[in-house]
Amino acid sequence: MRSAPRTAARRTTLPFYHQSFHNLQELRHNASLSNKVFVQRDYTEGTVCKFQTKFPSELDSRIERTLFEDTVKTLNNYYAEAEKIGGQSYLEGCLACATAYLIFLCMETRYEKVLKKISHYIQEQNEKIYAPRGLLITDPIERGMRVIEISIYEDRGSSGSSSGSSSTTCSSGR
Amino acid sequence: MPNSAGKRFKPTKYIPVSTAAALLVGSTTLFFVFTCPWLTKAISPAVPLYNGIVFLFVLANFSMATFMDPCVFPRANEDEDKDDDFRAPLYKNVEIKGIQVRMKWCATCHFYRPPRCSHCSVCDNCVEDFDHHCPWVNNCIGRRNYRYFFLFLLSLSTHMVGVFSFGLLFVLHHLEKLSALHTTVTLVVMCVAGLFFIPVVGLTGFHMVLVARGRTTNEQVTGKFRGGVNPFTRGCCGNVKYVLCSPLAPRYMVDPRKKPLVTLQPPFLRPDLSDRQLTIKVSDNGFHGNVLQTKSKSSLDGLDDKGLEVQPPLPPKAERYNQLKSQLTSSEESSLSSKPVHPSTPAMYKYRPTFGTIPKVHYHAAGEKSLAPDDCKTSAILEEGGRGHDYRSEPNLDLPDYRNAPLHRTFQSSPLQLDSFATNTRSLSLKQGHRQLAERPRLGGMNTETVTSTPYKSVFSPGTLSNRNGSLSYDSLLNPSVSPTVGECAVHPGVPSMGFHSPYLPTKMCHMRGAELHRQPPPSYSPVRVGGGLGRHSPHPRDPSPVRYDNLSKTIMASIQERKELEEKEKLMHMHSHPQAQMAYAADSGVFDACGDSLATSGVIGYGVRTPILRSSASSLARAPRTSSSSLHSDVTGGGSVQGRAADPPYRSPAHQAHHSPATTPRSPSYSHHKVSFISALERSDSPRMGSLREDVAHGKFNGQPKGHLGTSSSSPGTPLSPNRSTSVKKVSGVGGTTYEISV
Repeated sequence: MRSAPRTAARRTTLPFYHQSFHNLQELRHNASLSNKVFVQRDYTEGTVCKFQTKFPSELDSRIERTLFEDTVKTLNNYYAEAEKIGGQSYLEGCLACATAYLIFLCMETRYEKVLKKISHYIQEQNEKIYAPRGLLITDPIERGMRVIEISIYEDRGSSGSSSGSSSTTCSSGR
Repeated sequence: MPNSAGKRFKPTKYIPVSTAAALLVGSTTLFFVFTCPWLTKAISPAVPLYNGIVFLFVLANFSMATFMDPCVFPRANEDEDKDDDFRAPLYKNVEIKGIQVRMKWCATCHFYRPPRCSHCSVCDNCVEDFDHHCPWVNNCIGRRNYRYFFLFLLSLSTHMVGVFSFGLLFVLHHLEKLSALHTTVTLVVMCVAGLFFIPVVGLTGFHMVLVARGRTTNEQVTGKFRGGVNPFTRGCCGNVKYVLCSPLAPRYMVDPRKKPLVTLQPPFLRPDLSDRQLTIKVSDNGFHGNVLQTKSKSSLDGLDDKGLEVQPPLPPKAERYNQLKSQLTSSEESSLSSKPVHPSTPAMYKYRPTFGTIPKVHYHAAGEKSLAPDDCKTSAILEEGGRGHDYRSEPNLDLPDYRNAPLHRTFQSSPLQLDSFATNTRSLSLKQGHRQLAERPRLGGMNTETVTSTPYKSVFSPGTLSNRNGSLSYDSLLNPSVSPTVGECAVHPGVPSMGFHSPYLPTKMCHMRGAELHRQPPPSYSPVRVGGGLGRHSPHPRDPSPVRYDNLSKTIMASIQERKELEEKEKLMHMHSHPQAQMAYAADSGVFDACGDSLATSGVIGYGVRTPILRSSASSLARAPRTSSSSLHSDVTGGGSVQGRAADPPYRSPAHQAHHSPATTPRSPSYSHHKVSFISALERSDSPRMGSLREDVAHGKFNGQPKGHLGTSSSSPGTPLSPNRSTSVKKVSGVGGTTYEISV
């Protein structure tokens, strides 16, 4: 292994290693956050949690439109399922009332269950679809369910705006 | 809970809740101790049981209302509001079930408050579905804990009724021993219950009404829906169900430790660039999105070619219109590769090569002007015009389904295609500037063709042209019968020949122009001026007006009319030397492109005129786009007027100055120039080129210049040199990379 920092000239000759970084911090050594896109809420149907499926222009060159819309639509479906007022939510409320709301200490509410599903779904989408394209979706719950935050990363090894380079930069911490 | 740092412990705010808690617990305890034993013996053991359950219920709900997070919004990240700087509007409008609701910018939390959200000054947080801040529980009542608060009120009312009635029963049975301890205590409890009975029951009744109506206390007290419709109501039953049966909403605070870890490593995949499409979005106040997909330059090339080569021009126009329509409906898969469909205004774009951005500029200007009165549209157009790129997904309220977004709603009277096209022309023109240059020779070749007016008429039917953005042909300005604001002419940017013009003129215009055309022998009249390199004679100093005004305000139209009249007068001045020119002038008086596309001989003047305008207004205009971009979906009613403000001054000044001279003085060129400059300011890259035209312009006649120049022009309308100086054709590169052929 070369001890000196890899230069641009040498990057092309290096084998293409997949360095798995399990920390977003380490990611920044290879990819730098260049922009953030915010998908806003769609309030046309009231205060139900629903996000706009409009394709942001900044993602035009980063991801296919259909993939993005599928993600948002799936999220919308999840939220609709979580907020559905039906038998299950009514029973939950009655049970909570009957136990003087002590049930909340032991049991997970339906909304929380769906939120977990959403979190897993976003994680899966990030790993499979968005991260390979240099994007990251932030769970809307972290933003108060107001926006879906999509972080756009650029390959630091390239000139910032190039469409992905074939080289991997070494960790700057070295 | 995000609290401001350094919050001091204020004991005073705990007094009401302490008092309430003390009273509740203390009174009930006394009741159970002193009254219930006798009641158990006298009536039944069920009495204390019932009271115990109710009291438990009261306590549980009281605790939930007190300690539960009412759904507080966390503070927004810095990244989220980086574009909402001082120019961001205070309000944003969003449409909920057809009703406009205003969202206010929260300076503390750094986001636009969602509907029904309000900032609690006591808690210093934005709370979702904010009801009120209750001092008795020392907590905000919001989305999560409103149900518990409501149930607390209900149960407390029930509890108080029960305590009071059973205490009364006790006292009535112990009237002879009123001074006894038990009786005294019971009396005290009864007094407390009776004292708080009225306010509590009153509040309970008030909230029962609110629940039935689907309103929050905040909305009721501020009278938001006093005279109007509540968009959040689900009907009485639905509202009750929503309050009592909806699932418990989640908290918005997320444990940071639970953040999932994702690996990100370059190289990153990219979508297939060959399918990349220019996304053009027409937003209505930022939240109506209509995304037009157009192919990249290649498709536009094909479009141009086809349009230029088509003889007569009418059929392509209609064809394009339909294609555009279909394109809009299938924006996702839209590919304009082989179709001569132009995403933007078909007519305008087609002739852009000759006159470049002029029609486009007018389009924008007109669009902006026309949209100004409409709070929903102005920002849309301005945004499009203000930004040299596609709409950014800034925090905005665009409609999710842009494809189906009723563009009809966005624009008043024009078919949606042209509207969106108009707004897109600017962005498109940037990309097709080069190709337009290539297209120019072809246009010149076509100039020799003289098309009668007949084909024009056949092409246009009232419905084919979008009225609003379809832009008003200059001809229409001369004819009062044709309403400028609903002009249906497509703008022909500097189409040199009448023939070129015709396809894009509305039927009525065609009629008018047809009449004009018929007045003169077609062969002698060479309407094709642009591309004068083909030997256009100077007698025809002006081209048929390629420029179209899109939904200009009356003021503008009046000024344009004045200018036209002035130009006609000037033409008459040269009639003696150019009999043909006179006819030509008369013929295309209506066609004259007041926008300064006077790229024909007079066009040069326009060019020169535009330059100073461009420079002078560049700064203000440059600001306008940013403003519009920053306030993407700014509400016109709110801060959105910033866009209008920035845009209006440039327009107003020429308009005002245009009014200096009597109505007969055509002043439209200056105004149009101004508008052109407005749009061209967005493409300032070309401004240097415009500056080079100054010398040429010096020869041209100035028919009204914005601001300083206007006075000169108005004072001496005849001063401008004869537009036809020589037969040489000068190619001038204009704004947006378009090339103008000016016969100097």
